[in-house]
Amino acid sequence: MTTGGIYWLASYPKSGNTWFRAFLANLHANGEEPVDINELNTGVIASARGWLDEVLGFDTAELTPDEVERLRPDVYRWYLKSNGVGYHKIHDAYTLTVDGEPVVSRDATLGAIYIIRNPLDVAPSAANHWHCSLEDAVDRLCETKMAVCNTRKALTDQVRQRMGSWSEHVLSWVDAPNLNIEILRYEDMLENPQETFTRAASFLMLPTESERIAKAIRFSDFKELARQEAEKGFRERPRHTGQFFRQGHSGDGKTKLTPEQIERLTTAHSEVMQRFGYL
Amino acid sequence: MPTYTCYGLRIESALVLPELLMPTDESSEAVPIDVVINFGDISPDGLPDAKQLGPYIWVTDELLWLEVPFVARFLIRNGKQITIDPAPGIDEDSIRVFLLGSVLGVLLFQRGFLVLHGNAIRIGDQSMICVGHSGTGKSTLAAGFAKRGYNIVADDVVPVDANCSVLPGFPRLKLWQDTAEQLGIETSELRRIRPELYKFNYPLHDRFAHQTLPIRWVYILSTHKEPDIKFEAIRGLERFYPLRNNTYRVRFMEGQLLKVQHLKRCGQLAGRIHLSRVTRPDNGFELEPLIDSILADIEAHP
Repeated sequence: MTTGGIYWLASYPKSGNTWFRAFLANLHANGEEPVDINELNTGVIASARGWLDEVLGFDTAELTPDEVERLRPDVYRWYLKSNGVGYHKIHDAYTLTVDGEPVVSRDATLGAIYIIRNPLDVAPSAANHWHCSLEDAVDRLCETKMAVCNTRKALTDQVRQRMGSWSEHVLSWVDAPNLNIEILRYEDMLENPQETFTRAASFLMLPTESERIAKAIRFSDFKELARQEAEKGFRERPRHTGQFFRQGHSGDGKTKLTPEQIERLTTAHSEVMQRFGYL
Repeated sequence: MPTYTCYGLRIESALVLPELLMPTDESSEAVPIDVVINFGDISPDGLPDAKQLGPYIWVTDELLWLEVPFVARFLIRNGKQITIDPAPGIDEDSIRVFLLGSVLGVLLFQRGFLVLHGNAIRIGDQSMICVGHSGTGKSTLAAGFAKRGYNIVADDVVPVDANCSVLPGFPRLKLWQDTAEQLGIETSELRRIRPELYKFNYPLHDRFAHQTLPIRWVYILSTHKEPDIKFEAIRGLERFYPLRNNTYRVRFMEGQLLKVQHLKRCGQLAGRIHLSRVTRPDNGFELEPLIDSILADIEAHP
């Protein structure tokens, strides 16, 4: 019997995924100094083309996005051969391939941490990240067919990720049938870090000694991440984006969005926002 | 069956390969065929007594079984024979894309070549090879060199022989729509590499080098967040791993007897080239300055 597999670190973009990965890297390292933000070796993103090409042995760039999607479960299942446990970031919604199989592969998946953040805060952060207007970011959070890296005209270093609207993304993961999942609210990571990160570490079957957790929280604190980025840059920062680690707190969104934009987001996502205490 | 040449091999193929050149010598009848490509049935279950290297790759000392789902299964034997078992309803262009990429890469590997993943450009009587991850701009760079009048020796699959020379492939580059637009190349007349993709066969015509050329320079292309183009020469023993890591599908080497020979070849090549990392800004691809700076580096290391 295999003991290996993949824990997915899943979230809509700009919801605290990289912060969580920084915590995880520091929890693993348990060092005397914070881990370098450019060495967060927690495993590449699920949609990394390099990972898929390496396992498949041919170029996914020469397949259509639909063809690639059908092969992704096989790539993750191959991970079981290594008997290792991996922690991989993912921004895809929990979707099924046309063959009816979860893209992440049921066999390969040990579980998922799902990080959720108030969409009113996600929108301004995402606008910066996607290098688009706030209005466009709000559109995308409400867009059912939302997908990224969805082009057939250029080479992208990640394959297409279907995300759906913000609500669809959340529900796809948190209500996925038979998925071993732990949900973290970004706001709880900020307000009750010790309790929230301990719960996450426990779910991932990682060390939960309170001092070790506290140190990992301190070493992945927003100020530390922003300090490192200012000092040496962050290689995961998208081109055109000024700064990756920008605010690190919650509740700002409302001050940046127009009343109409707030209205659109809260109307489109009222059900899920209520369920997670955002309305 | 029609006969073609590429990578110094004479290939007889049941699948028409318009991208390849036909032999030009008069006495072609008398010259032996190196490789035969045929259609045939291939088991969908991989190979018996073989090592599985991936969900779609099986290998023994003589055979490599590769499936590209929805396109075809390929069986490559001893560097001499390729069998194709097409998926139902698949078009020939789609088969050719993978045949001329991964499959030829495996075949050359089985024939004992060190196969690099990148492209080779003729500079004087020598060649410069550019390697790097997908998306760093290798193809754009090659097309840019071709537009400036340089000849392309090989694209994508770059075989290195025992003399550390690169063998000429065939006269085409594969260009994405956005790259073509950047270079001012009109794509409406170009043939798509697969019907579903906006990626095109860009024929090189006289911008193709027909000669086997010694390798003098290897550049590893990557990107960074800084605004400048940076060169870092890699010296001494440190040159070995970057070469090994840029071999075509490192995975194919696992479990094959040839592995030792390939590593030795990496060592030989490392000993005679100028190897440098070239890091360009990821924020917009300024092609002309990149070509200029590579040419300047070449001039500084003749």
